[in-house]
Amino acid sequence: MSTTWLPCGVYHQDYIHDQGWWQTRFIKTKMILLFAILFIVIPEFADAYSLSVCNQIGYTILGALGVQLLIGFCGQITLGHAAFLAVGAYTSTLLILDFPWPKFMMDLGIAYPVSILIAAFVAGFWSVLFGLPSARVKGFYLILTTMAAQFITVNFLITGYVSQIGGRGQAFSLPPGTIKVGPWIIDSDIKVYFMMLVLVIGCVIIVANLIRSRVGRAWIAIRDNDISAEVMGINVVKYKFSAFFVAGFIGGIAGAFWISNLAAISPEHFPWFWSLWLVGVILIGGVGSIHGTIFGSIFMVVVMEALQLFVMQFVDTSWGEKLFTDFLFLKEAAFGLAICVFMIFEPKGIAYRWWQMKNYFNLWPFSY
Amino acid sequence: MELFIMTITTGIMVGGIYALVALGWVLIYKCSGVLNLAMGEMTLIGAYVSLSFYAMGIPFLLALLFSLIIGLILGILTERIFLDKLIGEPVLTVIMVTVGLSFFFKGTVELIWGTDTRVFSPPVFSIEPIHFGNIVIGRVYLWSFVAAMILLVIFVCFFKYTRWGLAMQATADDEMAALSLGVSARFVYAAAWAIAFMASGVGGTLLGNINGLNISVGYLGLLVLPAVVLGGLNSVPGAIVGGIAIGILQNLCGAYLDKYFAGGVKEVAPFVFMAIFLLFKPHGLWGWERIERV
Repeated sequence: MSTTWLPCGVYHQDYIHDQGWWQTRFIKTKMILLFAILFIVIPEFADAYSLSVCNQIGYTILGALGVQLLIGFCGQITLGHAAFLAVGAYTSTLLILDFPWPKFMMDLGIAYPVSILIAAFVAGFWSVLFGLPSARVKGFYLILTTMAAQFITVNFLITGYVSQIGGRGQAFSLPPGTIKVGPWIIDSDIKVYFMMLVLVIGCVIIVANLIRSRVGRAWIAIRDNDISAEVMGINVVKYKFSAFFVAGFIGGIAGAFWISNLAAISPEHFPWFWSLWLVGVILIGGVGSIHGTIFGSIFMVVVMEALQLFVMQFVDTSWGEKLFTDFLFLKEAAFGLAICVFMIFEPKGIAYRWWQMKNYFNLWPFSY
Repeated sequence: MELFIMTITTGIMVGGIYALVALGWVLIYKCSGVLNLAMGEMTLIGAYVSLSFYAMGIPFLLALLFSLIIGLILGILTERIFLDKLIGEPVLTVIMVTVGLSFFFKGTVELIWGTDTRVFSPPVFSIEPIHFGNIVIGRVYLWSFVAAMILLVIFVCFFKYTRWGLAMQATADDEMAALSLGVSARFVYAAAWAIAFMASGVGGTLLGNINGLNISVGYLGLLVLPAVVLGGLNSVPGAIVGGIAIGILQNLCGAYLDKYFAGGVKEVAPFVFMAIFLLFKPHGLWGWERIERV
């Protein structure tokens, strides 16, 4: 059975088409247009500021994708995802800075991509480690153990030990030119942007395909009712761990990607606030939907940037100046309020509205 | 040995404050089933309000009373505006609303009062320590403990002997039965939030007296989570025991383990302990084990 809505007169002759992502010509055109905008129009016409906003959106999508997988598809609520981003970022940085890479790998520029991959695996296993209690506890208690993951990893291990490696003090600075992918040295927003696009699209494809496979169906069954899932013969513990692994894996990619945009990384880049921010993003976007992750990321980043621009208008007045210097706090308050308002008035998130709109236009203008 | 006894006593005294805040948390959970992650910020608000009143030259006890009144109003408002509409929603929704609230409160507090550490000046309690034999205890700790205990007793008496307290107990026990007997659940929810706000406000004020007041007091409010997990989510005595236990644990780790690790043990230890404890006893010491049916 096809999962997409098919217009009148479109039939599939074989299973391959039935399982295809782009089943109608309209969808194909739409997606090619989207890719054209992403790959050609935005890099061509956007200025540095908009590109940096895009990069931030991409980073948020990558981070939130893992959270979406855990919360939205497997039902395991996590409030410590920034820890896995931090693990990814630090693994990748340490590998780049301290690992004796063979000369040819440096020359070919595959050191950084390889370090991203290793970072992803390390973060994945780290995530499974903190997912271990999920075999025994669930709901609120699991939330507490994931919170413990955040405090143990970032506030204790990374601040106290990992940051001290090499005697660099609190922040690891990445000298320019060390981050190199193939022949390109990632040193400008536009290059980060392309890297972000590739990673985001890759991860979205991975997750989208996973959740429509056997693994994903098992996750969804666990989310809907874990006891029934177990009765149906799903190995609940195994699939919970695999969900934690994939979530941590993508988190590791996100963290390792983000170091290309930062001149220096320090534990302050991965506060508890960021974990909650990611959960907020998927709640606003819509739980249990990949569209939701993307919409939520765009919404949150754009709204916060707009808020900043708005406050900047009043920087001359005394209260405006105070708000501008304390913008971080204003951002926190606005974020909190946004979550509350969305949860109360729009609990299904932006993705639900998108879905409604799509359904409406599927049959538009004649609804029969 | 002296160090050991002193650490334990200080732990018990600080733990008394945690117990007070944890009591507020358990109350909200028991009455309305809301898992509240905004407790830390509620302690912050109460503490800053009483500090502001105290800075105006109002006597400390009166300032505390005013902060209690403001806590009452804020608690009722919070419940009515945000939580009232969420009865029966999934756990994640409710939790994230409290997370949203915590950010909202925190951002507001930072916008109004800034992030610099503030102290109660002139100091409320004299810094001259009290000697019990060989053991030396700061006056602040002792008085905080006494105040926390007095309030705990008042709260417990309130539940046991007043009409409103009985209504709250009834709702916590069985909401349907309570409703059919004419107890207003909405009133009970509002009362639970108001009491939690007041309790955490007092807790925050006392904590602010110990080390000065800044945003990190909100983190101390987060420590109630290990405390309530230890005691079991829906057990009032459990919250008190858990709070004191976490206070002791924290001080012991601070005194004995700090020199072996690179700092931050005091902050992380309760959470590590909690994560391990959950693996062995997922329902805490006295929490109800819920049997799930499909």
